[in-house]
Amino acid sequence: MDFALTEEQQFFKKIITDTVDRMVVPKAREIDEKDEFPWELWKDFTKLGYLGLRYPEEIGGMNADPVTAMIFYEQIARGSVGFAQSVIMNILMGTYFVYRFGSEEIKKRCLYPAMKGEKVATMCFTEDQSGSDLAATRTTAVKDGNEWVINGTKMWITNGPHADIATVLATTDPSLGAKGLNFFLVEKGTPGFSPGQIIDKLGCRGTVTGELVFDNVRIPEENLLGAELNKGVEYLAEILDEVRVMTAAMAMGIAQAAYDEGLEYARKRIAFGKTIGNYQLIRAKFADMATEMEASRLLIYSAAWKIKEKLPSRLEAGMAKMFATETCLKVVDEVTRIWGANAFANEYNPQRHFRDARFLLYGGGTHEILKDFLGRMLIGKS
Amino acid sequence: MDILVLIKQVPDPEALVEIAAGGKSLNIEPKFATNLFDEYALEEALKIREKHGGKVKVISLGSAKAIEALRTAIAMGADEAVLIEDESFAGSDGYNTSLVLSRALEKETFDIILCGRQAIDADRGEVPQMVAQFLGLPHVGVVVKLDIADGKAVAESTLEGAREVIEVALPAIFTAQKGLNEPRIPLITGVMKAMKVQIPKLTVEDLGLAKDMAGPDGSKTKILQYLPQKKRPAVQFIAGEPQEAAIEAVRILADVERVI
Repeated sequence: MDFALTEEQQFFKKIITDTVDRMVVPKAREIDEKDEFPWELWKDFTKLGYLGLRYPEEIGGMNADPVTAMIFYEQIARGSVGFAQSVIMNILMGTYFVYRFGSEEIKKRCLYPAMKGEKVATMCFTEDQSGSDLAATRTTAVKDGNEWVINGTKMWITNGPHADIATVLATTDPSLGAKGLNFFLVEKGTPGFSPGQIIDKLGCRGTVTGELVFDNVRIPEENLLGAELNKGVEYLAEILDEVRVMTAAMAMGIAQAAYDEGLEYARKRIAFGKTIGNYQLIRAKFADMATEMEASRLLIYSAAWKIKEKLPSRLEAGMAKMFATETCLKVVDEVTRIWGANAFANEYNPQRHFRDARFLLYGGGTHEILKDFLGRMLIGKS
Repeated sequence: MDILVLIKQVPDPEALVEIAAGGKSLNIEPKFATNLFDEYALEEALKIREKHGGKVKVISLGSAKAIEALRTAIAMGADEAVLIEDESFAGSDGYNTSLVLSRALEKETFDIILCGRQAIDADRGEVPQMVAQFLGLPHVGVVVKLDIADGKAVAESTLEGAREVIEVALPAIFTAQKGLNEPRIPLITGVMKAMKVQIPKLTVEDLGLAKDMAGPDGSKTKILQYLPQKKRPAVQFIAGEPQEAAIEAVRILADVERVI
């Protein structure tokens, strides 16, 4: 058994850490304050080529294994989780089905530009009455000749208002529930496809999140992203674990950013003639935070390794998402206590980490539903 | 135009450094980075190559961990890298570091050698000049601008209150100062190349040096003791009208603290 990152992974971690420190960290506060898609940073960062992280080298990707991808997700989120969400959407969920099922023509038009940052991608699951309950999806896709006609409204869509390409979950037969779900590619400029309300969020600001409206949107037959009709849920299962572990890795990114702020403060802030890092109650916080972050990373890397080895990973991916996110919430809270009242001042970063961490509780499914799912897996149907 | 770049892996500027009990050594948090001034040197080498062609080779003397600095250089665009690694090098001073490096450099063909003006760990800034001496090459230090044409270089160096423009025939050694350029951020294609590259290593024997010529035995200087830095004094308030106080502040910075 070997728990070490390979020399290549360690090197990758160093490079992406340095890159994030130079490009993203200095912009994080501005991204949060403006709450606008950071186009300039997007252009500069995407030029480096990271959006092709998961895809084969033959098409301009890096062919990174899932452990290496988790290192990337953590680091980019450490810089700015608002920016990270937009980047990761292009890397993973927003392009996966286009890569997996798109024709060469579609890939040329959508995937390859998205891998270069020339197109912004998104994935549309959530609606006002459905999130984790996919079977409740009300957006419909109806076949009309050699076209599909999409109708419905999606909510909480990351990158939504700026998306050039959207992978849209829709039902072809509401009577089939989850078994009638499919993914469809809708491109910007298609008549009837338009952005709706933008959500003013507590955290993860800079990722523009909002509504997308599909009003009689007609798309060609080949825009059905699936080898077979009505297998959407099965196809989704192919990346579900990776998405959950990715969320865990982002949680570690936020936690690490907050932890680093806490460490610097504990080493410098003087109270009663000593730096506060000399007091046992402060030291205990670091012992707890570091232990739980280490445990989170072990879960993340272990689940990512299982995904890489194509071993069953559903349980471990859910555990990693839940544990790392809960750890993140504890860390961002503890860091505000270490900082004292300064943590309440908008001019410092701990309040941003405190706000950002909340979103990971709900993104990708609430912990209430995740615990129910994990418990059901463990107990079985009794 | 073949360019050699000397780089050093140093403790990360944010690494904790403490004097070990007894004051004979330092405990340094194991976080590392490429010496910042060497990054300027590498960036300049890459720019010269882009303009004039040729190749950029990066050389480092250090422990196996320094491979990371060399991989970073490859990721940024260097063509080749070599690590001079031998346990007998540990504890070398500037003199025998320069001796070892110059032995390695002698084996290479080059038009230009670039390195940082100083390493940010020991801050001595003595190796490039000594390498130049060992190799019998001209040296231009603290360079903030470098133009190459017709087998010659025109460099600008910073001086107190001025810049010096120097012409020198190649081959020559230049040391990079902040302001020379902005080191590039590696592209993923470079990162992938760097992750796969095999970096060759050289040892004492490879360089034709006796064991006692490298390391502390061959050093000309010896570190006797590490002493703690003076504690930063409390904030000093300067009384008076703003204009007078500003003059006094500048006087203290220039004459007392000697930082400007």
